[in-house]
Amino acid sequence: MTPARFLKTRTSAWDRLEALIKKASPRGVRALTDSELRELTLLYPAVAVDVARARMYKIDPNTQNRINQLAISAHGLLYRRKSVKSIQVILTFFRDTYPRLFRRLWPYTALAIAVFTIGFIGAYISTVLTPSNAYLFVPGQLDLTDNESGLSSKDISERFRLIPKPPMAAGIMANNISVAFNAFALGITAGIGTCYIIIYNAMMLGGFAAHFSNHNLAYDFWSFIIPHGILEIFAILVSAAAGLKLGLSFAIPGRLKRSASLRIGAHDSVLLVIGTVPMFVVAGLIESVITPSYIPGFVKIALGVTLASLTIGYLILAGRRPVGHGQTYKLNVPEN
Amino acid sequence: MQDFDLIETPENVKLQRRLAGIGSRFIAGLLDNLLIALMYIVLLLLLLILGINILSHMGISTALEMWVLAIMIFVAFLIYWGYFVLFEMLTNGQSPGKKYMKIRVVMLEGGGISLNSIAIRNLLRVVDAIGLYAVAGITMFVTHKVQRLGDLAAGTVVISEEIPDYSARYDKKKRVLDDEAITSTALEATGLKPEEYRLLHNYWLRREQLTIEARSQILPKLLQPILVRMGQSISGKSLTFLEEYVEGLMDKARNAEKEMKREANDSGAKK
Repeated sequence: MTPARFLKTRTSAWDRLEALIKKASPRGVRALTDSELRELTLLYPAVAVDVARARMYKIDPNTQNRINQLAISAHGLLYRRKSVKSIQVILTFFRDTYPRLFRRLWPYTALAIAVFTIGFIGAYISTVLTPSNAYLFVPGQLDLTDNESGLSSKDISERFRLIPKPPMAAGIMANNISVAFNAFALGITAGIGTCYIIIYNAMMLGGFAAHFSNHNLAYDFWSFIIPHGILEIFAILVSAAAGLKLGLSFAIPGRLKRSASLRIGAHDSVLLVIGTVPMFVVAGLIESVITPSYIPGFVKIALGVTLASLTIGYLILAGRRPVGHGQTYKLNVPEN
Repeated sequence: MQDFDLIETPENVKLQRRLAGIGSRFIAGLLDNLLIALMYIVLLLLLLILGINILSHMGISTALEMWVLAIMIFVAFLIYWGYFVLFEMLTNGQSPGKKYMKIRVVMLEGGGISLNSIAIRNLLRVVDAIGLYAVAGITMFVTHKVQRLGDLAAGTVVISEEIPDYSARYDKKKRVLDDEAITSTALEATGLKPEEYRLLHNYWLRREQLTIEARSQILPKLLQPILVRMGQSISGKSLTFLEEYVEGLMDKARNAEKEMKREANDSGAKK
């Protein structure tokens, strides 16, 4: 076969592939009909081989480039992972995948909780010993000693009651999920950024808690924080755990190449963050509806503790069924 | 930083991807962010039209306003975190800005981008965006495959889908004819066989990349059988003479081609 003949016989295939790619370009292969898709799967390998043949025949660089580009585009269309769309996949994710993932990565959650505890206790003790330290962690306007202009804990609840609930819930959820996403993303700094977010939040909470406790308002404070706070802080710490996993896989690659380790770490941990979103939705609803309500404090605390226990129980216990009969993946071999 | 990246397909063919440069990615990002800003402006205008004061919760009186504000907060959140995710999901790795610049996100190993990778590269965007995307710029500059942090973690690269025009690399005036375009008429005018013509044509296109020594070694070897067939002797001919001879042949072929095209056009016009 001469180059001229090669071009002559193959050009129509390239034109056809180009047309198919153009059609599929905006939305992927979904835009194609069944027969077009079949055509694409047949055309692609042939054109991929044409790339090599064009190189062999040394045909002009423009045409070589065109074929190469066509093959690349078709390759991008055909070789992709199965797309996640059905409700079933989401159900499976929360029923099995997510709790399993949480358990597999629990050391990172433990690490996040440890860092948080250290920050919290540090700020708490320092504020109890030196009450003026509170203003390192607490905005100045929250001066509990001055009852004339300052706000007591009851005033805080009062103020929250004034805010209309739907936008408050939306705002709280959006804010918390953003914090969680940032805690994950900042993990790329070898985990330092994530630790900063954990410690910042821990010290603020510790400072607040000690400040209220110094003014004998501990009960009011905790009945205000615990209903939504346990779940919320836990979810943030799980996201931070994902960030730590990301950062440590980059900082300590072990036997892998650093880039490969980072890639694996990121793919391992990203779902841990995504799965915290429902926790934030629940926590946001409680924070905007139940926390500022007139329900007695101890009931609110009990509710918060119960909810957090349920969540953690779910993470520890769900998805433990052994993979038995009917659970293994079956190959879908068409029976002729 | 490199321009090209080779991937090997399951068909055992090495395909060459053109990596998108920092410039085109920056413009794509700029366009996307302008679009995001536009969406926020529309959102704010909507609030203004509805008369909702977002700075104070006292401005809200009716239940409807409350829900409108809640939905708007939700939408703003969705735009911030979801714009790129949504578009890259729906269009196989092309946000509107990337589409305009004809670039696309693909997996490092080839193939369309996976959902996990979309999530990773766009969650890490907040870090890449630090200092007006300075972090991304520096990372792209120092990595081999023009990847920002999000790409490194997600295992993705951004490729250019524009088919580059390499014809500009040749001197257009002196460029003769493509292999496929050589017609029998043109061949007749030169008196060459097709493979002889191709050989000389290739030499002609590349001669400026060769040293004079190399040219004076190669050309006599190439021309000898041709000249012998035509009954001429090669001995004692200078390089200049031989190259002029080749140029003459190329000119003949080009002129014959032109002549034929014009005739074809004329007859076409007459019809």
